[in-house]
Amino acid sequence: MPDVSQLVRLLLVEHLPITLAVVLGLTAVYLLLPRPRGYPPLWGAAAGGAALLAGWFVIRTGALTPETLLFSIFSALAVVSGTLLITQRNPARAALAFALVVLSTCGLFLLLAAPFLMAATVIVYAGAIVVTFLFVIMLAQQEGLSSADQRSREPLLASLAGFLLLGTVLYALARSYQSPHLNDRLREVQQFQTRIQGLSRETALPDERSKQVVAELEKFLRTFRKGDPQKNIPSARILGGESGGDELADAVYEAQDVLEKQQFNLENNRPVQWDEVEQALAEVRRVGDRVVNRLGTFQPRDQTPLSGLSGPPPNRELRRDAAGRPELPAENVAYLGRSLFTDFLIAVELAGTLLLVATVGAIAIAGRRAEGPP
Amino acid sequence: MTAVPLHHYLVVGAVLFALGAIGFLARRNLIVMFLSAEMMLQGVAINLVAFARFRGNLQGQAFVLFTLTVAACEAAIALALILMLYRSRRSLDVSLWQDLREPGQEPTVDEEPLPPPPPEEPLPKLPPAGVEPPHPEETSRV
Repeated sequence: MPDVSQLVRLLLVEHLPITLAVVLGLTAVYLLLPRPRGYPPLWGAAAGGAALLAGWFVIRTGALTPETLLFSIFSALAVVSGTLLITQRNPARAALAFALVVLSTCGLFLLLAAPFLMAATVIVYAGAIVVTFLFVIMLAQQEGLSSADQRSREPLLASLAGFLLLGTVLYALARSYQSPHLNDRLREVQQFQTRIQGLSRETALPDERSKQVVAELEKFLRTFRKGDPQKNIPSARILGGESGGDELADAVYEAQDVLEKQQFNLENNRPVQWDEVEQALAEVRRVGDRVVNRLGTFQPRDQTPLSGLSGPPPNRELRRDAAGRPELPAENVAYLGRSLFTDFLIAVELAGTLLLVATVGAIAIAGRRAEGPP
Repeated sequence: MTAVPLHHYLVVGAVLFALGAIGFLARRNLIVMFLSAEMMLQGVAINLVAFARFRGNLQGQAFVLFTLTVAACEAAIALALILMLYRSRRSLDVSLWQDLREPGQEPTVDEEPLPPPPPEEPLPKLPPAGVEPPHPEETSRV
């Protein structure tokens, strides 16, 4: 028997942005889907805007950098034009909305360091497939909107099914990739860092303020490492997950060690070496960022034989950049070619054969004469 | 330096996939259904490229290249099929093909009537041709 209050707490307290985004998106798509006597499009647009806002809360990142800004723009564009695609009555406009989806996806590809895929997708999708679609639409629908475009099949059930799937996926993603506790901890570490930077400029003898900061920091680090069972705060080892828990706990332990020395200084009325404390905190944040990036990964075991031809195999230690992501080779096309002609040689041959068969098949199907009335 | 983490890309991919699924289920135009299916493929492609980026490994990108190939083949064949279906029923409506359903299934009937088409604009009235316009009487005879 599932606990209803627990479910309500899960949906409305812990994952409120996800629930809001899914419910508002469901309303928007349901209102906007074409039907003979439709709702005013303004209602659907308002619900859609609210859903986008809630979605922004789901995937909000702390700082505004060019990368996060571009990511937000491209993903919002993709989602909005995707909604337009499924709610447009005119199929030609739907095809153009699909072209917009493809272009914004290509922007995301560029952000993900895949320039060759970006070019290939623009050429193949926006260049070839959308044009063919438009051609077929022009060929088949010369007399304007048909009655099929004015109706939808079971709009409520269809949007319920889609958004139920979406909600489940978002919840699973939040469970395995987001660690709100860990993010809170790291934010607090950052706050301590700024306070210490303010203190270290005035390197005078210890006063009440520095004693207070040290005491607070000591308490915070202790809770960070050990957790607090009464307040339901997990320990650093649990927060870091299977892949980074030990590392995180060790970093916090180092920081505690540094802080203990400074406490000793304080007691003996010697000046506190704030820069050492700050360095230890910076190290905790660096490790924390890395651990956050690695949450939810399933790293294969060391003994698994994996090909190293498409980049370093994932069970080896990777070179990571400042943000904790592994580095990709700069020559995307060259390495992609090497990967295709070593790891995926048979697949390339099969894909070529598939293209040939598809061409022959398409000609064979479309070349037949009309069977109905001319 | 904060970067966009992996799961944000996965969220965008999931949204595109779900929207495509809704479009495929709800829309009745064959072409729009097919476009929705292609949008689902785009969502999956975002996931694969994001995994490639965050694993430092190009296998995900290679996989997207293959899905691109398959999508191109699929588009060619599906458009040929759509043209053939259009030729035999003179419409792109997928529910005209519901006699292909399973034996026990009820057919779907559209209860709600379509709104009446907007009244056609009246044609402009021209004066009847061939009528002799009035002209002044001739005053002189030669």
